[in-house]
Amino acid sequence: MSAPGSPLSVAGPPQARMAPQRDSAEGSPLNVTKVVITGTGAVCAAGMQPQAILDTILSGQSAIGPIRQWDTTQWPATQAGEIADLDPRKLVPDRKLHKLIRRTDLVGLYAASSAIAASGFVAYRDALAPDEVAPYNDRTGAIVGSGGGNFQNQYDFFPLMSVARGDLPAFGRELADNVNPMWLLRTLPNNVLGHVGIQYDLKGTNACITNHSVGGTLAVIEAMEALRAGEADRVVAVGHETPIEPQMVLYYHRVGLLAKNTLRPFDAAGDGSLFGEGAGALMLETEASANARGATVVGEVLGGGYASEGQGLLAIRADGDGLVRAIGMALEDAGLAPADVGMIVAHANGTRQSDASEAAALRTVFGSAMPPVTGFKWAFGHLIAAAGIIETVVALAALKANVVPGIATLAKLDDACAGLAVSAQPRPPRSNVALVLCRGFAGTNAALLVRTA
Amino acid sequence: MSPPGRPKGEYRSAQREGEIHSTRGLRRVAVTGVGLVTPVGNDVATTWDALLAGRSGGAPITLFDASGFSTHIAAEVKGFRATLVDDRKLLKFANRSHRFALEAAEQAMRDAGIRPTAADATRWGCAVGTGMMTADYDDLAQTHAHCGMSGELDPVGLLDDGPANDPLVFCRGQAAEGLALLTRRFGIHGYATSVHTACASGGQAFGTAMKLIRRGRVDRVLAGGFDSMISPIGISGFCLLSALSADNETPQRASRPFDATRNGFLLGEGAGFVVLEEWDMARARGARIYAELAGDGNSLSSYRITDSPPDGDGPIQAMHQALGDAGATPADIDYINAHGTSTPMNDRSESAAIRAVFGADVARVAVSSTKSTMGHLIAAAGAVEGVVCALAIARGEIPINANYRDPDPDCDLNLVVDAPRRQRVRMTMSNSFGFGGSNSCIVMRHPEEVDGRDALGASR
Repeated sequence: MSAPGSPLSVAGPPQARMAPQRDSAEGSPLNVTKVVITGTGAVCAAGMQPQAILDTILSGQSAIGPIRQWDTTQWPATQAGEIADLDPRKLVPDRKLHKLIRRTDLVGLYAASSAIAASGFVAYRDALAPDEVAPYNDRTGAIVGSGGGNFQNQYDFFPLMSVARGDLPAFGRELADNVNPMWLLRTLPNNVLGHVGIQYDLKGTNACITNHSVGGTLAVIEAMEALRAGEADRVVAVGHETPIEPQMVLYYHRVGLLAKNTLRPFDAAGDGSLFGEGAGALMLETEASANARGATVVGEVLGGGYASEGQGLLAIRADGDGLVRAIGMALEDAGLAPADVGMIVAHANGTRQSDASEAAALRTVFGSAMPPVTGFKWAFGHLIAAAGIIETVVALAALKANVVPGIATLAKLDDACAGLAVSAQPRPPRSNVALVLCRGFAGTNAALLVRTA
Repeated sequence: MSPPGRPKGEYRSAQREGEIHSTRGLRRVAVTGVGLVTPVGNDVATTWDALLAGRSGGAPITLFDASGFSTHIAAEVKGFRATLVDDRKLLKFANRSHRFALEAAEQAMRDAGIRPTAADATRWGCAVGTGMMTADYDDLAQTHAHCGMSGELDPVGLLDDGPANDPLVFCRGQAAEGLALLTRRFGIHGYATSVHTACASGGQAFGTAMKLIRRGRVDRVLAGGFDSMISPIGISGFCLLSALSADNETPQRASRPFDATRNGFLLGEGAGFVVLEEWDMARARGARIYAELAGDGNSLSSYRITDSPPDGDGPIQAMHQALGDAGATPADIDYINAHGTSTPMNDRSESAAIRAVFGADVARVAVSSTKSTMGHLIAAAGAVEGVVCALAIARGEIPINANYRDPDPDCDLNLVVDAPRRQRVRMTMSNSFGFGGSNSCIVMRHPEEVDGRDALGASR
């Protein structure tokens, strides 16, 4: 890993140990390939670029507001972080593509393109000797965390069902005249993966992870591991989801996960989460790949950890067991101690059960020496599969600005979250290392450690 | 179309020489338990007999009245009852594909003779290839009748719609529900993930699982795939794309991979699961080892969403990677379980890829697509076919490519036709290529080729 005095050495005290050595199970130390970040991209209700999103957060104004995609006047849940006036042409210039993809794919492709553009690797590749281009593409991959299915696409069958009137043979006969022939392709959960590959001619390692909220974070972890294992030299990691649709909002409301008006993480008045929509992306490379073209390195992925609790789809353990283990694994993976962490971006989704168990986990790991803790969902909502990765992108922007943004909706810390180092006000980070936490359905917990250059 | 400027033989040099895991002392992975629920058998033994005999699971669809669809045949799982997993509380949350998954996973656990305990639960992982989770037709029809008759959703009507307010419908439709049921059922507390790269999902799940053990993150993984798209919505999606064979009068011959008259795939359903263990731990407990899961290859075609290029670019890289990852060469492979969907494009592209990778060995290496009998299990395909490879190694038998009659010069492979082959199978390769362009290739190795000991650990 990085030598002392490398351009990526840590800015503020305490000095983080930046020479992680992972032990293989046999106990033989491996030299772990350094995984650097050469570009980021993000879009959500709070902005179309990482810096703009950070600015919104620092302004203390949440971008969550009344849902505008349908009339919610009679609805029990009415608030979400919608991207205002989402213009497909601004997100994906190739208009031919718009018929083949969904809203969630638009934001995913936009974030991926932003990260790829920021990294500058495409211009470098295109200037390579002709016989070097194909091998370069073979060693460039994409790993995407995607929300999987949605409900709105299924309503594309409603006109057909109205024609068929419950008669299945008629449904079959009238199918081709009433449903878009590309329906299945529009519905593919792995559309962003396929289209980002085609657009940039990426031929390397790839995956689409449909693992609820942790999908985006796992995309980063799996990309890091692919680079370490030598499966690729460059991987774009993406997470995307647009869950704000009537049936999804209704279900989350019915199972008791949505707030009435405001997402107040760790607050005594907290009453649930709220959806947001959008995407985040990181261009990750081996240090050698970035150095080869003199790329500007904006940060480094130091390590990741992941654990499940196995209690069922919606159940969460009160003691934060899965999260404790995920954080411990991430620290070990990065060769860092809890004291090295400069700020924690908590999952902070605003539901009482998740917030309380997350606080318990952080108390267990960090005790009284906890670095500043914050969360971002209060400002743009819960992006589900994109949550962990967009929050990683914003965390990097915050570290660069040397600030831990406050949680502006926090008024009174909930008793169940006592000891948590949260604040409504911005604070300086303790070092340039951020721990970003992410939790999802099926009792899944992910922890990611990144730092800025 | 291959990218301009790719010289012949360039693929191999894109690999990193000397980066072969198995020769770097990384942890090896053993397959110690298998489970299958397929259109030709609800367990491993029944399925295997059908694969050797080339008995097709194709038949007219019985799950719903499909008579109006351009294709009304499929390979359904038949007479299925969740016999091993009878936890009624759990099954309430399970849709058809989840039930296949729970059953096949339970078979694999019992076969392996090991399951997570409180002491080692965090050292167990779970990696599954999951289907698209399209809506259940009956639920959608109910919502349509309640608040969609105009042809568009009336959101206000949704507020008192039955399915839209039923948490069970919500849970059953979540992409992570299969993972939730499996980790709960078996008490798995380590790395748990679900992947979806369409028809490559099952293979990618196996690859992910193997890497988790190599990394030392877990010691054992329950890995598999499950899917069921034989529903009005699922069939519609494929009919609209004209991807299915419409040989409605001859369902048992509808899937004929690599045959010149092939005209689309036969939709199947089911689940395949394995228990994977770190090699030395499996040996230490005297486990029966079917095979080593030795290599994983993973590439994007980046050509078209539905097709691989005719020259095999994309699949070629995945196959090279898997071989390199396993520390193997084409000469080591005795059997390829092809993706072989029976669509005109796939089989041509895959044949070109196999020829490009295997060179002169293409005349020797046995190839069959078991989709000829089971149909295409979509997200479960790669997992089920991975199990087929493990069985081919363990039993020394190669299942047939059923329904092959008219040779296609574009698919000039050493296909296993007419009768299964009984031979020593040193190594296998399993291909899975998905819509979206993901290509997965999995390589397995006979246990004796690993440490000179047979499946049960006796020295040769």
